[in-house]
Amino acid sequence: MVELIFLTPFVTGIPAFFLSKFLGRWLLMGTGAFHLIFSLFLWKNRPEAFFNNHFAVTPEGLLSLLVISLLFFLISIYAVSYLKEREIQAENVFTGFMLLFLSTMSMVTVSDHIMVFWIAIEATTLASAPLIYTHRSSASLEATWKYVLICSVGIAMALLGSVLITLSMDIGDVNAALSFSAITGVAGKLDPFWLKAGFIFILVGYGTKMGLAPMHTWLPDAHSEAPGPASALFSGVLLNCAYLGIFKTNKIMHAAGLGDFSGMILMVFGLMSILAAATFIIRQNEYKRMLAYSSIENMGIIAFGTGIGGIGVYGAVICMIHHSLIKSSLFLSAGNILLGYGNRLIKNTGDLITLMPKTFLAFFAGFAGISGFPPFGIFIGELFIILGAFRGKHYAMAGVFALSLCVIFAGFANQVMKISFDGSKAAIRLKEKPGLVWPQYILLLTSLALCISIPDTVHQTIIDAISAIGGGF
Amino acid sequence: MTILQVDTILTLVLLSVLFSFGSSRLPRLISVVGFQGIVVSLVPFFVGHDMTIGGLFFTIATLLIRGIIIPMSIYKAINRVNIKREVEPIIGYHASIICGLLLIVAATWISRQLNIPAIKDYTLLFPTAMALLVTGMFLLMARRNAIAMVLGYIMMENGIYLVGTTISVRARHIVEFGILLDILAGVMIMAVILQNIKQTFDDVDTAHLRSLKE
Repeated sequence: MVELIFLTPFVTGIPAFFLSKFLGRWLLMGTGAFHLIFSLFLWKNRPEAFFNNHFAVTPEGLLSLLVISLLFFLISIYAVSYLKEREIQAENVFTGFMLLFLSTMSMVTVSDHIMVFWIAIEATTLASAPLIYTHRSSASLEATWKYVLICSVGIAMALLGSVLITLSMDIGDVNAALSFSAITGVAGKLDPFWLKAGFIFILVGYGTKMGLAPMHTWLPDAHSEAPGPASALFSGVLLNCAYLGIFKTNKIMHAAGLGDFSGMILMVFGLMSILAAATFIIRQNEYKRMLAYSSIENMGIIAFGTGIGGIGVYGAVICMIHHSLIKSSLFLSAGNILLGYGNRLIKNTGDLITLMPKTFLAFFAGFAGISGFPPFGIFIGELFIILGAFRGKHYAMAGVFALSLCVIFAGFANQVMKISFDGSKAAIRLKEKPGLVWPQYILLLTSLALCISIPDTVHQTIIDAISAIGGGF
Repeated sequence: MTILQVDTILTLVLLSVLFSFGSSRLPRLISVVGFQGIVVSLVPFFVGHDMTIGGLFFTIATLLIRGIIIPMSIYKAINRVNIKREVEPIIGYHASIICGLLLIVAATWISRQLNIPAIKDYTLLFPTAMALLVTGMFLLMARRNAIAMVLGYIMMENGIYLVGTTISVRARHIVEFGILLDILAGVMIMAVILQNIKQTFDDVDTAHLRSLKE
């Protein structure tokens, strides 16, 4: 039953390679709608998986899954309007890989077996690489190459990490299934040395895919070269999927009593990512790359919050959900800007407020949200993380964290002001149809609604997910 | 007896590691990596655990893919399309070889400190695996040629395979999935070929996958 969530998009993805443009677009939206409904069903009923050694519905998986479904549905609506505006070569290939990408990401969220998870992550790389190469230019090929190379090294590292975890099982003489939940159950008996080594390799491996510095170098290229809808998916959900692997391994570490060790490493990687984003975002001259660096920053915030523990983990999950909603809306708006101005450089844009007022509204509101202004959720998440850092007496780290956020805000704000209000002589080549702006509005409104009142079931699921890694109030 | 055989094989692997540090031309590096792929895949036949039918299948498949198919296809590719033969080192060959020697010494020293019961008798096993991993990383970082980078990646895979296949049956089941990594290597090779074909046709100077900055 659970398996249908990734089998459906797989089954619809294969014929999409052979369908006409018109049918392919409908298939994309239809699958998105079905996926969303089915995710809600899974959320409500939480059924047992058919292959229950390999797949399971976990609270952290459900959170990611619901975000994936919602985002994919809205992005598919946007994509249909986008494809009408922007002619791309081999549209059926694009549609097909979008659906396969959805399938592999859904598989990540429901897999419980260590190797199934690993295969699913590798499959996301394979399904998403062609999306970066959509425009068939040399630069996009280079970005694809970089993406595949760096992520492959990461995936190889994660494989080594998984091997080391089995080694810790052998030395501890543990006989359990190779699933995250089974290993968490017997974690106390594992050999701590090799478990730690395994965690480090898994963190580096999946951290590469998540975009943690210093393994983040593929991310800005891939995000800026992929077409709008694809980069929204990359930033909104692919990074979360990789985070899920670190989250699940961190659960094993906590069950084995090594939570302090894993927490410290996560905090260091998180801070490094935030610092890396701060240095690069200030002197960024392309808006899509700027958004990509902001994703690195947010992944750093999430890793940092997870490392702190307690209330910080709650903040990290809140940040994760809101980052997905807001950042994907920003990437869609950036797609509009690229369609309108036909240029990626910030200096060739300007006066967005009068030239494209509807996109301006979405872009500026998204900017306010992602920088942590009060009406949006990121603010609450970051507040919780700083509170958690103070409770854990990590004063110095909290200071660096807050300072870097200020620097990033300054850099980001400067560029957004240029895009929005600077004078421009550009001739806009885009009519802002409803399909090109409403998905962003809905994403932002969802974020806003979740911030004003978070439904009890969502709150409870977050608490269930994070209690195993020392999270909670 | 088996210990002697394993040590002989591993010595060959270590030699191939040193060779790869010093190889300046692609065809040479390709044959070194191919040889290494074959030799590494032979190790599970001599170490410990009984081989199941499935295990045998995977071992032979790995041998074929890493030892023959990938090196052959890269070799064909560099002959067909106009790929530079020079590996374009960032760190020179002599310095590379010294790095390699230091690396092997360090790997041996580190593995003396670790205690893995399953492979206690095979003293060269862990150092070799570690050397392979780090050499792969080294080639990825210290060579500009895209094909040399792919070959470095395959060396990393060999290293992981060597660790996993020997320490336990459970770990062997895991590294059997490592064969999927070769798909990624295949995608990379395809990307390099595409890039070269594009360059010949478009004549756009992208300075070989180097135009994007931070």
